[in-house]
Amino acid sequence: MVVPEAYPSLGIGSDRPSQYQKVWRAAMKGGARQNSDHAPIMKLRFDRGTILLTDPSKDLKLAEAPGVLWDPRVNAHRAPASRYPALKRWLLERGARFEDITTPPRPMQEAWSDVDLRSYQEAALSAWELGHRRGVVALPTGSGKTRLALAAMHRTRLSALCLVPTRVLLDQWVREISRVYRGAVGCYGDGVRQRAPLTVATFESAYRHMDQLGDRFDLLIVDEVHHFGSGLRDEALEMIVAEARLGLTATPPRDAGAVARLAELMGPTVFELAVADLAGGFLASLDAITLYLDLTPAERSAYVSLATVFNGVYADFRRIAPDVSWADFNHHAARTAEGRRALSSWRQMRRLLALTHAKRRALEALLGRHRCSRVLIFTADNEAAYAIAREHLVMPLTCDIGRQERDDVLERFRRGDIRTLVSARVLNEGLDVPDADIAVIVGGALGEREHVQRVGRLLRPSEGKRAVVYELVTRNTIEVGQARRRRQGLVVRRSAQL
Amino acid sequence: MLSDDLLSCSVAGALVVPHFLKEHDHPWLRALLEEHERFIGRPQRELEARLREPLPCQSPPRKLRLAIQVLSRFRPSPRKTAVPPRRARALVFGEAARTLALPHNVLSAVAASLGVTHEDLQDSLFGDLPGERLVGAPAQPFSTTELALRSNLALVQALLCRATVVRIEVEGNTRTLVRHAKWRGLICTVAERSGAADATLELSGPFVLFRHTRLYGRALGELVPLLAWCPRFRLRAECVFQGRRLSLQLGTGDPIFPASAPRRYDSRLEERFAREFRRLAPAWDVIREPEPITAGDTLVFPDFALRHRSDPARKWLLEIVGFWTPDYVARKLALYRGAHLSNLILCIDEDRNCAEADLPPEALVVWFRRQVDAVTVLRMVETAHCPG
Repeated sequence: MVVPEAYPSLGIGSDRPSQYQKVWRAAMKGGARQNSDHAPIMKLRFDRGTILLTDPSKDLKLAEAPGVLWDPRVNAHRAPASRYPALKRWLLERGARFEDITTPPRPMQEAWSDVDLRSYQEAALSAWELGHRRGVVALPTGSGKTRLALAAMHRTRLSALCLVPTRVLLDQWVREISRVYRGAVGCYGDGVRQRAPLTVATFESAYRHMDQLGDRFDLLIVDEVHHFGSGLRDEALEMIVAEARLGLTATPPRDAGAVARLAELMGPTVFELAVADLAGGFLASLDAITLYLDLTPAERSAYVSLATVFNGVYADFRRIAPDVSWADFNHHAARTAEGRRALSSWRQMRRLLALTHAKRRALEALLGRHRCSRVLIFTADNEAAYAIAREHLVMPLTCDIGRQERDDVLERFRRGDIRTLVSARVLNEGLDVPDADIAVIVGGALGEREHVQRVGRLLRPSEGKRAVVYELVTRNTIEVGQARRRRQGLVVRRSAQL
Repeated sequence: MLSDDLLSCSVAGALVVPHFLKEHDHPWLRALLEEHERFIGRPQRELEARLREPLPCQSPPRKLRLAIQVLSRFRPSPRKTAVPPRRARALVFGEAARTLALPHNVLSAVAASLGVTHEDLQDSLFGDLPGERLVGAPAQPFSTTELALRSNLALVQALLCRATVVRIEVEGNTRTLVRHAKWRGLICTVAERSGAADATLELSGPFVLFRHTRLYGRALGELVPLLAWCPRFRLRAECVFQGRRLSLQLGTGDPIFPASAPRRYDSRLEERFAREFRRLAPAWDVIREPEPITAGDTLVFPDFALRHRSDPARKWLLEIVGFWTPDYVARKLALYRGAHLSNLILCIDEDRNCAEADLPPEALVVWFRRQVDAVTVLRMVETAHCPG
């Protein structure tokens, strides 16, 4: 096999001495040093999300080292970067001499201000420390997960990479870190690429640039960590050497496969509290009211004919393959004309239910009743959000609204200049939404997780506050089952470790 | 990346076979282009609504969705509104929150304060949303052939986004492919030559060793338009598609939209030398980027081959050592020393300060300042004995 000259970074004859900071002369436990001082020393090098091991001692059986495989493309051993801590321990235990990868620069200690925590946050942080600084903390929306992350960065004094799902959260995290850390805060995402000992990156940027970022941090913090564990982007978490890992979520995955994979990538769930555990104390009390509504005769007739087309195909499919997923059905249905008609009918049913006549009337009444409150309206899609925005002249917050305008709108909402916002997805996750008391759920598409996150928007506590969530559900339609299922996420889980 | 439902392809055994848009697709492509043209200057949502309905002639659903997707890549232009939409929203929603008036009255009051009509204000409110933007015309009008080729490129790139390893037997333009691989952080190994191919490249990313990852799919897909400039190629990609490991095969002549022509020369220095030498030496062919040379476990790509027309055995390889960093010069010279080429001419910039000892002993050396003297090179190739 021949390596093109034009590719010099393959590790063959391209040593970069500046990158190697330390030569580990491990304390030998009753054994002689494996390499003489004149033998070439093994080099560990971070190579685009992996650790490349070159010039190993012949006595060292690298094939037995954690995560290490022989890479015939470059004639060297290689391991995923995430296995670096275990690999290093393995080498040290065997008294191997090696040039280590560069130690990431640490944040300035004097630049930190104190980060105070509530009792349950302290408990969560202790649980994480006891879990050898690896694991997932599940806390409800509004309970201060970002604060917990700041405390973890401050107390461990490690360089940290924080991953967040959206660009909005990217700005928010940079702001939050800057409040307690006076040094530079790095940012990867939204067209910016700045690296610092404390850096925030979007999931997308992390996926694209982890081959360059993966050896620069000792602590990995992942906000909304439930996005990992079953997705394509899991590799981003395998391409970073950080041993300390903290995952944050309000809605940990329940699927066994995702749970196991997440435990492998980030560590197990070390602390978990649900909305009901904190409501009335650290979170505001909450009333959930479901309003069952009817379709008009014309809507009912349209719904029934669409449902007939869809149900016929779907029922046949489920009879043949009872255990398959919705995604499998979609895939199967897209192959035939009948299947495509069924999917089209499904989409039309959803569109019809997104904003029915009765929902419009109910919403009008609710907005009238809570005119002086801060109200969040949640819809199933942007189309319904814009329809409500036009009809009731309430500000929509969607992915189409630019960042500056969105920040401006949230600030006006905070000040009370705007009292109602309508959104399909943008308000669901992570965004620091100012205090609101009323939520009207006109429609949803993403089930339990989305519902928990939406309700969490109301839970920021204040003196005498009692939040109200209205769910608008259309009788004798698919919405009834959907509403029942999504409420499961709000029940008490466990109040461990408090 | 295109979603699975846009991939017009089928699975045959262990192969994934792309269904290219070809001449028999031109009638419905023409109808699609006509519809698109009809909606230029109108809101995007109107075009989207129209394209949800069938075209006047039969069209395969997946191919149609693919072509629509390719057309939609032309960004719609923003719409002119009576009031800037962001300002309209700030005023209208602020006023609505402040007063208890009915929506109609709020709009009228704000419209009056801005000196525009009620309708204009309503129209401005969301005039900047994607669906409200105006359908744009491509800079150059599309032909059906171009739309078909662009759709095919999108299809193949989407399939390659699901690829882990790509193997290309290639003749000509190898350097461009290797350069791209380097630029995109791919590992590029060269297997034994087969048949007439200059080289067989195997391209993948470091992490492929551990997982069937899609991390490098985009970078691998970017190779496809470059292949159009290789006189002959055969590509085989290992893909993970619909949960199965399948192979995708492409070859010379597949109807795929090409990249713009690669730059012929890396520098003006090279271009000027080639031009001068061709003018001075009509008996010699100047071959840009001749086939790569094996040097130990690597390949080197000389800049030129100079071959006598009536006596092709008289062939010299020429490398111009121009504005290179000292490290690169050292590495390059080491490679040439390892290659032991007896028909090598090195043209070295005097400012590079190369020591005689670093130069390959077999090579002829032409020192230059600013530009390579074609006359000197010609005299050299005419008079020196060529080992052939």
